[in-house]
Amino acid sequence: MQIDPLLLYRIVDRGRDLGAQYVEARFQDDYGFVVSVRNDKVLAVSYYRSSGVGVRVLVNGALGFASTSNISLSNLLNVLELTVSQARATSSLRKKPIVFSEEQLGVVKYSVVEKKPLLDFNVENAIRLAVEAYNTVKSTIREVKLPFLVTTIRTHVQEKLVVTSDGAHIESRVPRLYMSISSTLLHPQKGTLQRMREFGGSGGIELIEQWNHLKILVEEHTALEKVLIEGTSPPSEKVTVVLGSEVVGLIAHESAGHPMEADRILGREASQAGESYVKPEYINNYRVGGEHATVIDDPTIPGSYGFYLYDDEGVKARPRFLYKNGLIHEPLHNRHTARLFNTRSNGASRSMNNSSEPIIRMSNTYIAPGELKFEELIEDIDLGVYVKSYMEWNIDDIRWNQRYVGLESYLIRNGELADPVRNPVLEFTTGWFYSNILAVDKNLEFHPGTCGKGEPSQGVPVWFGGPNVKLSKMRIGVLT
Amino acid sequence: MNTDINELIHNIVEKLSRQFDEIAVLAVTRRELMTKIWNSEPSITQLWSKLELNIRIVKSRRLWVLSYETHDPEILVKHAEEVAKIADKIMEAELYAPLPDYALCKPLEGAFDYNAEHYMRDPSRLVDVLVSEALGTGVERVSGTIALSKIDRLLVTSRGYECGENKTEFEVYARAFKGDFTGHWAYGSTRVSQEVLREVGRRAGLYATITKTRVDFTPGEYDVILSPLVVGNLFDYVASMASALAVLTGFSMFAKYKLGDRVAADTLSLHDVPRDPVLPGAVGFDDEGVETSNKPIIDKGVLVTLLHNAATAVKMNTKSTGNAGWVRPHPWNLEIPSGDIREEELIRELRSGIFITNNWYTRLQNYYEGHFSTVSRDVVLLVKSGDVVGHVGRVRLASNFSTLMKNLKGLSKERFNIWWWEVRTPTRAPFIIVSNIRLTRPEA
Repeated sequence: MQIDPLLLYRIVDRGRDLGAQYVEARFQDDYGFVVSVRNDKVLAVSYYRSSGVGVRVLVNGALGFASTSNISLSNLLNVLELTVSQARATSSLRKKPIVFSEEQLGVVKYSVVEKKPLLDFNVENAIRLAVEAYNTVKSTIREVKLPFLVTTIRTHVQEKLVVTSDGAHIESRVPRLYMSISSTLLHPQKGTLQRMREFGGSGGIELIEQWNHLKILVEEHTALEKVLIEGTSPPSEKVTVVLGSEVVGLIAHESAGHPMEADRILGREASQAGESYVKPEYINNYRVGGEHATVIDDPTIPGSYGFYLYDDEGVKARPRFLYKNGLIHEPLHNRHTARLFNTRSNGASRSMNNSSEPIIRMSNTYIAPGELKFEELIEDIDLGVYVKSYMEWNIDDIRWNQRYVGLESYLIRNGELADPVRNPVLEFTTGWFYSNILAVDKNLEFHPGTCGKGEPSQGVPVWFGGPNVKLSKMRIGVLT
Repeated sequence: MNTDINELIHNIVEKLSRQFDEIAVLAVTRRELMTKIWNSEPSITQLWSKLELNIRIVKSRRLWVLSYETHDPEILVKHAEEVAKIADKIMEAELYAPLPDYALCKPLEGAFDYNAEHYMRDPSRLVDVLVSEALGTGVERVSGTIALSKIDRLLVTSRGYECGENKTEFEVYARAFKGDFTGHWAYGSTRVSQEVLREVGRRAGLYATITKTRVDFTPGEYDVILSPLVVGNLFDYVASMASALAVLTGFSMFAKYKLGDRVAADTLSLHDVPRDPVLPGAVGFDDEGVETSNKPIIDKGVLVTLLHNAATAVKMNTKSTGNAGWVRPHPWNLEIPSGDIREEELIRELRSGIFITNNWYTRLQNYYEGHFSTVSRDVVLLVKSGDVVGHVGRVRLASNFSTLMKNLKGLSKERFNIWWWEVRTPTRAPFIIVSNIRLTRPEA
């Protein structure tokens, strides 16, 4: 940790002396490298480091935040005084003071265990990995061309020390590794198809072996070539739809995770990421779906991309059941929203880097799996469509009306996967989706993503996941 | 840029010159303030004081970029020295060109407003004006953001180029709420203006209260009016796809076109305007020390310019357009020339169709083909026989960028400087009318 902890304690003490009811000082150091490779040639090698202190204060019921990369005591004290003064100035515009919930706060130090240290993974290794990915895909495809394949590999070590005026002291180190492979398949008569596949987790170099990415790339590109050449439009009548883990995970993130962020429910993000269809009175009162609609957000999953054990307000992390058997159950809270909901924080406050205020974020969000095998999930379907992966998606600003456009997709005929289907368009509401889950299988998978929220926008690493999910009959659109 | 930083940068260039063939150091000093508004009250005021040090180093055609925000620049130098030791083990960069030759420093003038510094000391007056103006339209609550920045930028290269410039930025946007009806407006400039602050609040309130009627909607093809907010969002994607790197990696609908090809209706032009000192992306020189210039990307419907840095220009046998990005060339400010329809005549001109006032969450199924969709937010008006019938609720615009640009039917005379969360390249945009655009909504 490249800071003397006493500096942060000096800031916290001085903030209290200046009249702040709450002071939080966070040193955060984010560093690593990014390698981008186009086909088998290097595009760019970049190293990055963002290191500094973020200070948040609560003064007369108003919040102030300041961040600086200059961590000399004199500069930090100067920054602190400025933010206290700004918060005090805006407090006169607030009718209701901001108050934080009382919590049991952690005094801990934790690190993610790396079986093979991430710092031993260098740029040379990354380039080799990327070129290998290109060569693998290139040798997999048979009839189509591969004009573009861009591989991006990113290492990221995140070190934090959070100290608060009410006793938290959280020191953490989380290394992460991420890889994305974006490919364009081109057929002179059939057009093009684009796929972006991501791999990511927390840990060391051992993650690469766990990903088994070359096998996945071969399977996917073999399938996608077939989709491009042989894919037909989906049936025009309503059919049963089965969604793969990747799509299901994204749906969980978009239509359960985001609408269950308490700050969004209360309108704090109204002019940016929007609000929520969920109202405060829905908690434990409103049924959004059926028995299979259980969505969990859990930061404590070992090896996960969204891993942490304590949040940036010093609160211990734990699994949160956002939807429980169809009932809207528990929003994601920080200490401010917990107070407004008259409950306790469940440790969802995260910051992207030292420049970012801690706000409510997801971690690893997934739909709970069941007991069935995939074959059992589809065995009673006479005619349906299985959507395994996607490219395009979006959802409205209250997290209700959403769209997913399938990529690797198949007809289901007489209980078995059949011919490939091209670009099936699924549009439904959150209520329809969670009320029309007929069954889920046991194949829980996770996929990494970077979730955006806040102003300035903060991208934080998350996993999203789920099993394969069978839905009631619906009409499937086509891309025009 | 203060003398300490100037000296620091020269030291870095001098130290690293012994180990690398080329060095460029770009230092950006930022002082920024942002106040967020939630339920008509400030939710937080944020301050930033940052020094970003970016170094581009080259040895034997191997290229590295180091981007550091750190309290200790020595860490950066040490890291660069370590890079030099392993340089030969890395393959040459595919996209590489030497830094441009020495050129005169010609910083852009007129992009600095001392008022920004004044309001950074106490933004509460600005918050009060924005909130009061919006509430004055009869809405129940308002959310939004006011941000002020002071930015110093200094570039020093081992080819003898040295240039610095400074500017200020002012970003404001507001969303007004009346029951289920909401309106939104935004503005970005290098200059602070209470007058436009009022206009942002007033327009957000105006759209939130423009109708009290909720009406049904049937998915299908419609003629649409897209507000400058929507235009700014969608043409940010179009301009990003004009980056030569996007073309070279397949993330562009322009990958299948040649310069000179028709890509849009002849009423549409799209310009990159870095030398407009009013738009907040204003910049006099790019990250490689090339003097910036205003130029059309699309001129009267024809693709005429891809955006280049030195390396992509060499790859595509042309000259840099002054849009570096050491790795990715990018637009600085965008401008769409106006048309001849007055704003108050837009709805009459549309006759029948849908007026989308704001959008978000634009995503593409395929960049090469340009297939995309985006979701409306805030009021969406059904227009029949030249009159507003009511608000149809949230809809999705699902189309293709080629279709969107080729079906352009008209542009407003008035244009607006748009910059906000969903429009990250500042854009001077008119309202536009586009025919036969698919709008969708889930059946259930």
